[in-house]
Amino acid sequence: MSDCAEKRIRRRAAACLAGALLLALAGCGDGGKDQNLMPSKEVGERVVNFFSPMEKADPNAENVARTASDLTIAMAEKALGVTVYYTTYTAEDYQDRTYDDVTMDRARNDMDDLYLLNPDTVMALGAEGKLMDLSGLDSAKNLRDIIRVANTVDGKLVAIPQEVVAYGLFVNMELFQQYGLDLPETPEEFLECCRVFQENGIETPVGANRWWLETFVFAQAYADLYNGGNTQAEIDALNSGAARYSDYMRPGFEFLQTLIDCGYIDAEKALVSEAIEGEGADFLAGKTPIVMAYWGAANSDTAYGKTDFEMQVIGFPSSRGQMPVMPMTGYAVGANAEHAEDAMRVLDIIVSDEALQVYSETNRVISPSKNVSVDCAPALRPLNDRIEEGVYVLGSNAGMKVEQWGNTCRIVRQLLGGATVDECMAAFDQLQDAALGDA
Amino acid sequence: MKEKPNKLEQRRGFSLLLSILLVFCVFGTVVYAIARKTTEEMSSAAIQNLSESLDLLQCTIEAILNNEAEFQRLVAQEVARAEDPEAFILAYEKNRTMAKLSLIRAGETQGVSNVGEVFTEEGLDFSENGAVGGLAISQSYLNYMGTWAYTMKCPVVRDGQELGTLYVEYVYDTIDRSLPAEGFYNKQASLYIMDAESERFVLKPKGMGQRSAGHLNLDDFYRANSVSDPGIQAEVAQCLDSGQNILFYHDIRGVNALNYMWSVNNGTIFLVGYVPVEAIQQEGRTVNQNIAVVVAVMLAAFFLCVLLYYFNWRQQEQVRKEREEERRLHSQQLAEALQAAQIASTSKTTFLSNMSHDIRTPMNAVLGFTTLLAKETENPAKVREYTGKIMASGQHLLSLINDILDVSKIESGKVVLTYDEFALNDVVSSVEAIIQPMARAKRQEFHVEVTGIRHEYLVGDETRLNQILINLLSNAVKYTPEDGHIWLRIIGLKQRSSQYEHIRIEVEDDGYGMTPEYLETIFDAFTRAENSTTNKVQGTGLGMAITKSIVELMSGTIDVSSQVDKGSIFRVELELRVQEGQMDRQFWQDRGISRILAVEGNAENGESIQTLMEDTGIQVNVAAGLEEALSWISGGGTYQLVLLDWEAVGPDAGFSAAGALRQALPEEVPLLLLGEYDAQGMEGALELGRTEMLTKPFFVSAFREKVKELWAGETPDSRECEQSSGLEGLHFLAAEDNEINAEILAELLSLEGASCEIVENGRLAVERFQQSEPGEFHGILMDVQMPVMNGHDAARAIRALDREDAGRIPIIAMTANAFAEDEKAALDAGMNAHVAKPLDVELLKKAVKQCGMEKEHL
Repeated sequence: MSDCAEKRIRRRAAACLAGALLLALAGCGDGGKDQNLMPSKEVGERVVNFFSPMEKADPNAENVARTASDLTIAMAEKALGVTVYYTTYTAEDYQDRTYDDVTMDRARNDMDDLYLLNPDTVMALGAEGKLMDLSGLDSAKNLRDIIRVANTVDGKLVAIPQEVVAYGLFVNMELFQQYGLDLPETPEEFLECCRVFQENGIETPVGANRWWLETFVFAQAYADLYNGGNTQAEIDALNSGAARYSDYMRPGFEFLQTLIDCGYIDAEKALVSEAIEGEGADFLAGKTPIVMAYWGAANSDTAYGKTDFEMQVIGFPSSRGQMPVMPMTGYAVGANAEHAEDAMRVLDIIVSDEALQVYSETNRVISPSKNVSVDCAPALRPLNDRIEEGVYVLGSNAGMKVEQWGNTCRIVRQLLGGATVDECMAAFDQLQDAALGDA
Repeated sequence: MKEKPNKLEQRRGFSLLLSILLVFCVFGTVVYAIARKTTEEMSSAAIQNLSESLDLLQCTIEAILNNEAEFQRLVAQEVARAEDPEAFILAYEKNRTMAKLSLIRAGETQGVSNVGEVFTEEGLDFSENGAVGGLAISQSYLNYMGTWAYTMKCPVVRDGQELGTLYVEYVYDTIDRSLPAEGFYNKQASLYIMDAESERFVLKPKGMGQRSAGHLNLDDFYRANSVSDPGIQAEVAQCLDSGQNILFYHDIRGVNALNYMWSVNNGTIFLVGYVPVEAIQQEGRTVNQNIAVVVAVMLAAFFLCVLLYYFNWRQQEQVRKEREEERRLHSQQLAEALQAAQIASTSKTTFLSNMSHDIRTPMNAVLGFTTLLAKETENPAKVREYTGKIMASGQHLLSLINDILDVSKIESGKVVLTYDEFALNDVVSSVEAIIQPMARAKRQEFHVEVTGIRHEYLVGDETRLNQILINLLSNAVKYTPEDGHIWLRIIGLKQRSSQYEHIRIEVEDDGYGMTPEYLETIFDAFTRAENSTTNKVQGTGLGMAITKSIVELMSGTIDVSSQVDKGSIFRVELELRVQEGQMDRQFWQDRGISRILAVEGNAENGESIQTLMEDTGIQVNVAAGLEEALSWISGGGTYQLVLLDWEAVGPDAGFSAAGALRQALPEEVPLLLLGEYDAQGMEGALELGRTEMLTKPFFVSAFREKVKELWAGETPDSRECEQSSGLEGLHFLAAEDNEINAEILAELLSLEGASCEIVENGRLAVERFQQSEPGEFHGILMDVQMPVMNGHDAARAIRALDREDAGRIPIIAMTANAFAEDEKAALDAGMNAHVAKPLDVELLKKAVKQCGMEKEHL
């Protein structure tokens, strides 16, 4: 070793010793002592209570929607200095009270400040005046018109979503190709596909749960209403009673009845199955070629984000071809919320363009803001193309006097439970009559 | 022998390593034991700590429940006292604690509620028989507010009669508000409240990220936190059944945590959750960290010490090695010096032996012939013969002594070159004059060739140059057998600078040659080729060493190549400064010489003549043969002189050629025959009229002298010969302390017709001169080393005398101090010349001539 190297090592050794000495001295140091040994507490913590559903499916899988949402909440917490407390609920099973039920109770009893609501609860609570008018928020100005219309109840914008939820059919392309099938455009083609699958040993080609079968109904019921160029007139007719919801709904229910009768869906199982929990495993295993789910499921590991086969997401069969169904979920602030002001501020931030950009990039969804757009996952392109073309139906519409999403879901469950199509239609008539009567 | 210390060192190193390892093992074991004990104690303390915390929480919740039960009893009493219990109930407003107040009268299944609805016990499960303060408590459920709640029922008793049952619904939010707002263990712990019967979580953490899985019920908790051990699950189930507490370690998402199920209210509800061990043992972690830091610092210090020790050891080792190396080198140098000294001693012993032999041999001759001479004084022939031999032996002895002195001077670095102007011609002539007779005596042929020389007037130490040539040539003569050949070539090389003549001197012979081994040492002092042949040769063995030293002093090079029985060739390369100033063109112009013809068969020699004559301004035409020369002459060429190379026209044709040229040339045009010293048949040609001989090689200076002679019509040599005895009639004052030397001097001078007056030292010489008449002495011969006053001081004293002739009386140093610096010292002391002892009369004559005494005398 050269002299130079030895000197260097000696210098370093001296530096180490000096460092050790400093550490020792620092350790011996007394520091300034206060008489009061209690650490000071932060006072005046600002809190926003946020009620939302919770995960229970797979603890190890990443739910990008949750992650994306949490990112925006963190932005709000940082910007406002508030703490968002999460109160969560999810049903243990089908017999348990649903998230929507609990949400309604909590909102009606002013239990929380900020809610994540499904379309039917938005409608119901909005109509009851339990939700704050959000139209004054800065971020509301950036919303696409369709979002604004769908979430406006009695002239009040009562909810703002972080994503445009579009439902579609998730299909296993490899199975379709295996049996030489084209992707179905119409209900007839869909039934033909199911027949072929069944003949080839796939007894139940369509995986279903108790929540999302209504999407088939909406696609067939409102394909013309929303895409025929006469939307408002038709809605006005429904609201006035000149047209009957049952007339719109019947083809979809009859179609579902066919699926049930042919065994293309397992009605009994569907009736007790939670979303994705019931049908997801078979779909991922390649046993079921078709399931229905929302857009974000294609991105989320907790749903269908990672499949071993080529997956495509297409619209539901209708007379106008593949039809995406778009219900509107959203964040809402309780009208009598304890921390309403902070809740409004939090909401303003989490649906701001900046936050929605983060959300959309993380979750790869369609943003409700007209200023934010991101590329979608390849599997979602067919669905995205239709939406970009402006071809879709709404699963919920605040402009309709009869709430659509929740009621249709409930009536579909009746069908699954054995009610006839006529009975189901009668239920719609009853709802419409009640709505007209209220009016 | 060498391996033993190595093995010992290895064993020591191994032992040291083993000791260090042992120290580390002991140290590690102690640290491990302490750490383990600390960990165990901390673990125990952690369990204790958590238990206490959970006990506190349990007590808090139970206190709330008991308060609620107590309060409910009071309300029941109020209801009992109320006139219209139903109205009391309906009037009761819900608050943050009691979400709903209901009453069912005894014997009825329906009752009223403060929220206005019909109340039944349906949906309330009291089957588990849980109780708080004696009041039955239901299972937890989601109430109409969408939050988890429980109901306690209390009988309403009026006057000992049960009026009905009071049901009060409490929400868990009340308990939630009573739990630590800051969270549990600085928010690192998770805390759920679980309904024991349904195993549903009725209170959950509220921070971000609490929407993930694991918050629904116990199964969800198990799944989310990977609590899959059936043993733990079974034990938990058993504790839930029996209402006992359970604590167990289980990693939650990779973090070691204490998991707990803590029974509250006799197991109707449980506190469920986990606390990372680190959160409980914060101080423990700090302690561990500090221990680790201390250990690390100690280890670092230890390693630092080891490192410093190692460096110190390394440094010492290095110093030791350096010293050893130095010692070894020193020893080696000493050994080499000893060896060199031994070799030198041997060499000098050999040299002394040789010298002894070589000195004794001529000394023997001197003494022997002197003895014979004493006996044969009457026989003049014998006397001449013996004195001749004595003279030869004396001369040899002198050369031996000169060589030895030269070597000792060279070795002590005292040789100084004396630069002076000289003509190369003089050098060649004098060398030739010495060597030619020696060669002839051995019937050897000696040839001198000069080619390519541009300047023959040079500056250098002529004497030393002569010495080089004589050494080389005399060696060549010595080591070449009879009938051999010796060549001296002086070759002009390409000039590196116009101010310097670059010459190469080659001395070649076809003699005995030398072995390669001898060639390696030929230039070393005190060596001499030893073999049966050369043993016959006398010599000091110093000649070559002296020669080489002189060449190097002149910044030249010398090398030799030789083959045994083939001969040797020595090459000396020197650069000698060219004399400044133009050639004396006037000399030639004065004599009308502007064009000469050289008949030179050898083109190289012709060119050489032309080159040498360049500076004279004379046009030199070179004819390759007689015909060409004659044709040029007949063709109208006007030449003031013709040079004919005696060998150019072929053997034996010189005379006729000279005749032909003489005939062709006008009478006044001289013909110079250029030939070897002993050219055959030239004598006849010299009779042709205005024909003279010029000795080869051609030099301008010699040529000039010859021209001077021819034009002057006299021969300077003959005049000089006549003047050769230059001492006659001179009277000297001689200072000589040695009587014999003084006698020899007196005798020699008297033989030359001169006389002297001897004084014994310098002072006497000064005094005698002071007393002398002006012109009484023609000169003073001054020994140098004398008692009383030495020669130098005496010379200075004489020069300082206040006499008219004190400054000009010639003083000649006559001393055994024969070196150049001695001569310089003599001249510096004011003397005019220097003659070395033993006295050479010829040299004395030269010195006298140099001092101008003879002229003055004449």
